[in-house]
Amino acid sequence: MRKHPYLLIFMALLPALLGLALFRVYPIVLALFESLFSTYRGDRLFVGLENYDLLLRDSGFWQSLKVTLWFNLIINPLQIALALLLAIMFVQKVRFIGLFRFLFLIPIGVSLPVAVIIWRIMLLPDGLVNGFLGTLGVEPLRFLTSPDLALYAIIAIATWKGISYWMIFIIGGLQNISPEIHEAARLEGASAWQRLWMITLPLLKPTLLFVLVADVTINFLLFAPVFMLTNGGPRGSTNVLMYEAYKSGFVFGDMGRAMAIVVILVALLLVIVGLQFWLLSGRGKGRAAQ
Amino acid sequence: MKHLSTPLARKIALYVALTLTAFLFVLPLWWAIISSFRPNDAIFRDLFPFSLRAFLPEPFSLDAYVGIFQRGFGGIIWNTLLVSGLTMIFGLVVNGLAGFAFAIFDFPAKNTILAVIVVSFMLPFEAIAMPLYGVVQQLGWIDRVAALVVPSIANGLAVFLFYQFFRQVPKDYYEAARLEGASPLRILWSVYVPLSMPTCISAGLMLFIFQWEAFLWPLLAMPAQEFKVIQVGMASFQEQYTTAWNELFGVAVITALIPIVLLLPLQRYYVQGLAGSGLKG
Repeated sequence: MRKHPYLLIFMALLPALLGLALFRVYPIVLALFESLFSTYRGDRLFVGLENYDLLLRDSGFWQSLKVTLWFNLIINPLQIALALLLAIMFVQKVRFIGLFRFLFLIPIGVSLPVAVIIWRIMLLPDGLVNGFLGTLGVEPLRFLTSPDLALYAIIAIATWKGISYWMIFIIGGLQNISPEIHEAARLEGASAWQRLWMITLPLLKPTLLFVLVADVTINFLLFAPVFMLTNGGPRGSTNVLMYEAYKSGFVFGDMGRAMAIVVILVALLLVIVGLQFWLLSGRGKGRAAQ
Repeated sequence: MKHLSTPLARKIALYVALTLTAFLFVLPLWWAIISSFRPNDAIFRDLFPFSLRAFLPEPFSLDAYVGIFQRGFGGIIWNTLLVSGLTMIFGLVVNGLAGFAFAIFDFPAKNTILAVIVVSFMLPFEAIAMPLYGVVQQLGWIDRVAALVVPSIANGLAVFLFYQFFRQVPKDYYEAARLEGASPLRILWSVYVPLSMPTCISAGLMLFIFQWEAFLWPLLAMPAQEFKVIQVGMASFQEQYTTAWNELFGVAVITALIPIVLLLPLQRYYVQGLAGSGLKG
């Protein structure tokens, strides 16, 4: 540690830092920059904030923003609640739990596009799900082509695929809670329900905050299911901003609009993540200290 | 909750919940697997009215898999193995070296650079995929394999995993080897790398699976679709052969099989890697 082989340090860091600078940082700069340009008959023109101005006056953009926010408002709490439930089941010490643990982990190996392919066929009007529902006397539902159901079908598919992954983090958090605390509470006569609310959840807060932030980040940018299943339809009901940006840039060739949407999307994401940190860690600590 | 207060009732409730959940996870995959071993016209046969025969591979047929490979899916698997393998090998070297430099040496602005790296992996790849298209276009790599491999090599999380591990190795090892005249790179290779096998597996698995599951970026970066990777190949298979249900299931099964085969024995390392990414939170 006495001598500093600066050349060696430089060479060791260069490939990684160059890669991160060029393929992580520079694209963000480029997105900000490109969002100030517009392409008109093959010419690139500097238009300042016009792309943003047009977006704010575009009802299609607002509709898409509404879909994105509604989608996230449902899917994130749902996934975290189910992942927590799954994690609690996972850590139970009962017979055959090894088999159940193995089965719970399977969706981690399944990519989202694979889940989409399988569920698309399951959700067809004459598919497996409707076959099941048929035995209960329910008429076949058009899960993916009805504007009332398509978004919820996507939520269900992404949730099916996603919760095992989030479960892993929560298991880590659960294992950090010492069993003595639970034991003591049980001897004091606390029910399982009370122990969940008074011990497990408060102690799990840092883990849940991490999972919430990471989950929101992924779901805000969810793309594959919309692209593969609905193309934003039916009637715009699944047209999340990520897909709207893709369509603008890569179908209609309007990169300026696409980049403006990406910038707004990421800015919105940063605000929401910041808000979550502020609400769940900052204020939470203040309350605990009282 | 009174009725759950006896231990037996609680145990039964737990097993019911476990079984139902397991069914929800396994049933779609089971149906996909057995359907991929049936002829195409048999797949919807037992659903209306519903019968449990829908979950049996009969009549048994390998048509789906024959069809998939005749339509060139073998090449797509090979492409993806190539992209994922290259990313993994280069990624281990590049990120391992950087992690080593961060852990062993002190240099100006080290903590600032580390902080930027941590922030860089909090923003997922999807957020920058569309602007990245512009960068790769400037480099002239659109529709080239380099567009898939090179941008994915440097990975903040992998750097961070190596940094965290190498930092825990006692500095004495490094100092002692230095006194014996070994060069820093030699020390990295013969002391640090053998010690860090679990980290190498975690980081390697992460890089490999990241590429195996990549969808949006390959879709954007390879518009000519001459070189297809597996997730995109699967999606375009779905568009082209809309009603070849058994083949679609077969493609999905193959695509899921490789990560599952890798994850089963190496699950522990993958989870450790994930836990490492959770530490920052």
